Amino acid sequence: MEIEIISFGQITEFINNQKIEVNGIADTNSFKQYLEDRFPALKGIKYKLALNKNIVQQNTEITNQATIAIMPPFSGG
Amino acid sequence: MSAERYNRQIILKGFGEEAQQKLLRAKVLVIGVGGLGCPALQYLAAAGIGHIGIVDDDTISLSNLHRQILFTTADIGKLKVEVAAKRLQEMNTQIGIIRHPIRLQKNNILDILSRYDYILDGTDNFESRYLINDACALLNKPLIFAAVSGFEGQLAIFNTPDHLTPSTNYRDIFPIPPTKGEIPNCSENGIIGVLPGVLGTMAAAEIIKLIAEIGQPLTNKILSYNLLTQEQYTINLSQGHGYTLPKTVDEFLNMDYQNTSEGPQGYIEIDATELVKLQQLDSTILIDVRERHEVPVLDKQIFTQVPMSEFGAFMSKEFYQKHVVLICQHGIRSVAAAEAMQEKYGDAKKIYSLKGGIIKWRDHFLKS
Repeated sequence: MEIEIISFGQITEFINNQKIEVNGIADTNSFKQYLEDRFPALKGIKYKLALNKNIVQQNTEITNQATIAIMPPFSGG
Repeated sequence: MSAERYNRQIILKGFGEEAQQKLLRAKVLVIGVGGLGCPALQYLAAAGIGHIGIVDDDTISLSNLHRQILFTTADIGKLKVEVAAKRLQEMNTQIGIIRHPIRLQKNNILDILSRYDYILDGTDNFESRYLINDACALLNKPLIFAAVSGFEGQLAIFNTPDHLTPSTNYRDIFPIPPTKGEIPNCSENGIIGVLPGVLGTMAAAEIIKLIAEIGQPLTNKILSYNLLTQEQYTINLSQGHGYTLPKTVDEFLNMDYQNTSEGPQGYIEIDATELVKLQQLDSTILIDVRERHEVPVLDKQIFTQVPMSEFGAFMSKEFYQKHVVLICQHGIRSVAAAEAMQEKYGDAKKIYSLKGGIIKWRDHFLKS
């Protein structure tokens, strides 16, 4: 299954925008686990996922060619 | 109202006299007269928003001027609210400017917010942002949220339901404030002046759209903007669950907005003298957690470079030193690193963070 990852802010320093080929990832919870295993720096910061431009508020099924955005909070002004 | 002043927008198809009257009747509060607040205020005042409140307790400093475009070099040291109010009033003599030269806190924010119809959050820290979010949610005030980091920005409208979604607030995206140092701020990370200019102007546009009831404001959406690519990415918001949002004034007054860091502090914050003592021990490792491009560059023989972006990977490896001293530019990120290490090693290692960072102890680092 192909997933497109889009990242923002300081997360771009360790996760580039990319298309990845994954197997055995069926939903956003397991994708989150996959991300934190592969990019341990993510574990130290707050972030929110959006699946196909909709914010993820509960475990949601991921289908082939999904786009997942990873967004940290910004406070600067 | 002088129709001539606003002629070019009144004659605009889809705007007109009626929209102009709505702007004139509106009351908008801009919190933070910084990189976001300055351009937003200029356009709101010029467009003819009838009542504009300005909140900030800070004075103007030289390093503000590259992005806070209401101020001149001669204004350094003056109160931001006073200088901004004077400039805006000169720009548009037909509107009311209300000065609030104070810092918003739990005990004054509800009173001030309740006098306005729309709130723009252009502050620069998470404590203020969560305070403003919760107060706006409690009072059911439309909140226009703008924030920047590096070359990117975020823009959203909260507490405003649309025909599809009930209203959302900032905690629907980020339920809990980040801990200190978890997310870099402008003074730590830097900011290009034009970026808050773009975001502040976009925020003013959203307020004008909301008031005039034109177009599709970013209601229940968050827009991410990238200055380097000029790309925008919009995410649809929905209500989250399982977070604390004060539902009554009493609950609000009992919230803790001062301290966003969690958990007991096990690490020690040290000064340069203690750093020198620790440096002499064989069992000490000195770690510079700044990113590789940051200056001044320290002696890599003495200071092990582990940027925050690689910190997780570093912690997964074993190292023998018992004393770990963490150093960064201002002593903020090093606290975050110290918290992470404390959590992993507990009493097995002694963790230190250099308070004030390299900037505070510049002489020490330049001579060593």
